[in-house]
Amino acid sequence: MIPATFDYLRPGSLLDALTALASGDGTKVLAGGHSLLPMMRFRLAQPPRLVDVAGLAELQGIKEHRRGARIGAGTTYRDLLQSEFLRDRFPILAECAEHIGDRQVRNRGTIGGGLAHADPASDMPAVMLALDATFNLRSKRGRRSVQAREFFLGPFSTALAQDELLIDIVLPPLPKGAGAAYVSQEQAASGYPLAGAAVVVARTRRTMSYASAAFAGVGDMPRLIRSTDLLLGTKAEPETVDKVVTAALEGIEVTGDIHAPVEYRRHLATVMLRRALETALERAR
Amino acid sequence: MSILDYHAFREEQEAARKAGRYLGVGVVSYIEICGLGPSQVAGAVGFGGGLYDSAIVRVYPTGTVRVYIGARPHGQGEETTFAQIVAEEFGCPVENIEIVAGDTESTPQGWGTYGSRTTATSGVAVKVAAQRVKEKAKKIAAHLMEANEEDLEWKDGKFNVRGSPDQAKSFADVALMANVGWNMPPGVEPGLEATAFFDPSNFVYPFGSHVCTVEVEVETGEVRILRYIAVDDCGPHINPMIVQGQIHGGVIQGLGEGLQEVCVYDDEGQLLTGTMMDYAVPKAAQMPRIETDHTVTPSPVNPLGVKGCGEAGTIGSAACLVNAVCDALAPLGIRHIDKPVTPARVWAAIQAAKQ
Repeated sequence: MIPATFDYLRPGSLLDALTALASGDGTKVLAGGHSLLPMMRFRLAQPPRLVDVAGLAELQGIKEHRRGARIGAGTTYRDLLQSEFLRDRFPILAECAEHIGDRQVRNRGTIGGGLAHADPASDMPAVMLALDATFNLRSKRGRRSVQAREFFLGPFSTALAQDELLIDIVLPPLPKGAGAAYVSQEQAASGYPLAGAAVVVARTRRTMSYASAAFAGVGDMPRLIRSTDLLLGTKAEPETVDKVVTAALEGIEVTGDIHAPVEYRRHLATVMLRRALETALERAR
Repeated sequence: MSILDYHAFREEQEAARKAGRYLGVGVVSYIEICGLGPSQVAGAVGFGGGLYDSAIVRVYPTGTVRVYIGARPHGQGEETTFAQIVAEEFGCPVENIEIVAGDTESTPQGWGTYGSRTTATSGVAVKVAAQRVKEKAKKIAAHLMEANEEDLEWKDGKFNVRGSPDQAKSFADVALMANVGWNMPPGVEPGLEATAFFDPSNFVYPFGSHVCTVEVEVETGEVRILRYIAVDDCGPHINPMIVQGQIHGGVIQGLGEGLQEVCVYDDEGQLLTGTMMDYAVPKAAQMPRIETDHTVTPSPVNPLGVKGCGEAGTIGSAACLVNAVCDALAPLGIRHIDKPVTPARVWAAIQAAKQ
């Protein structure tokens, strides 16, 4: 439970942090540390150097942006939960963040840290897929934007290059009158979801005009659910919802483990999706 | 069953079933063998030691008391409970009593804290030693007041001479005189202390009944504990709060085992639940409020009448929970599920029953 030897760097500016990351020596970024440090203690990760970005002002802040939102990667879950603006515009974020860890974890853990860590069992990546978020990345080489739906590549694997830092998260505005929901069932020991589902839906004159959904914790990474397209143009009758739920796992490989064998997790994922869909539909005006 | 209002619950259960909800009630009764135990039995069964326990009660000139005990509490609260036993005997504040345990250089031979035995053995030795001290104190008090020992009565924390209410000696008065030795009764040694070794003539047998109600979500296999009622009989309670705490702790341990704690090994014998991320120790938010009540049936084998309560809560609680889950799922034809009743296991049992 003692990590291997490592150097620790606490840069005073974003530029210094990017310079340190550019050295290419396996340096890892430390934010809240609630995922990385346990891995280091188990020696599953042995980075030679940590760059602590927790104090960087450039990674802070929750702002309105093009009628959506821009969230600094260093924003803690606590700050997400306390933001009146986000609770008003994107209440699904609070609904999800409430499930993350415990109070201590939410006080330190950051949204950017969790997303960059890309634990396949974590909750927030699925919400990002459902909200169609865009992630702004920076390195010494320059800036680029990557859609959340292109960002997650596998377990603990993302589009981030070794020298890149996740700067902020941009959420496009939800369609008018949209309803969203995140529903999960937690594993009793870790609190990570055995399966979770994030859903965003909207109607135009009683007809479904927008539907987006993703699974958390069902396999090697968060998965967009394609079958929600079946809702578009319908009135979301129970039969249509049934069809969406039945087809939701098509093309998605579900993983089994000691807490949820494959058969159970497949079933649970569909239950979570149905509940999230029903709740989101109720919330959509 | 009356705390639950069993018949009302059955009606609620019936109504819930019609609405597609699955409620269940589990009942468990247990009897425990503890307070170990007669040393003769220890010898007969080949246990490598004795099973008596011991105490030295030493009274200082100021009336403060130090009690050296043979057992070694580790969180059961006996430092408090035993001080209460002595305080009650001597009519002095509980703060005046210090319990010393675990220092084998100063404590008498004893056999430890386990098996819900300590109050019923070491605690009784404390009581007996304190009684011996008090007998000697009574002799000294009688001598100091020039009265017959038989004419003394212990009232309001003092030795009083019957029929002459202005004549009285407190325990602290006697403690001082015994320790200075200026005016001792003939043939009585100065000082005020006693040692007792208590070897019980039999085990003690606490018992109780627990009732648990649950709701099972058949869609996900999740079990939610609605109520947990524990009625136990460990004899007289010396410290009701500590007894309740012991029951709470025991019940939670059992519920954790029944609900979610499990060691999983892979085919090579590698433990897969080696961290708190995978091994589900119960958390406060996962546990119900525990409703406790008790009856008092004193044990005949020791003068305090006490029995053990350290393990009482654990014995029945896992089974009580699983019984409740099986009762909830009875309409599906389910009569047995191996503990712990994790969502995956409950769901699998429901699927198996459907076929």
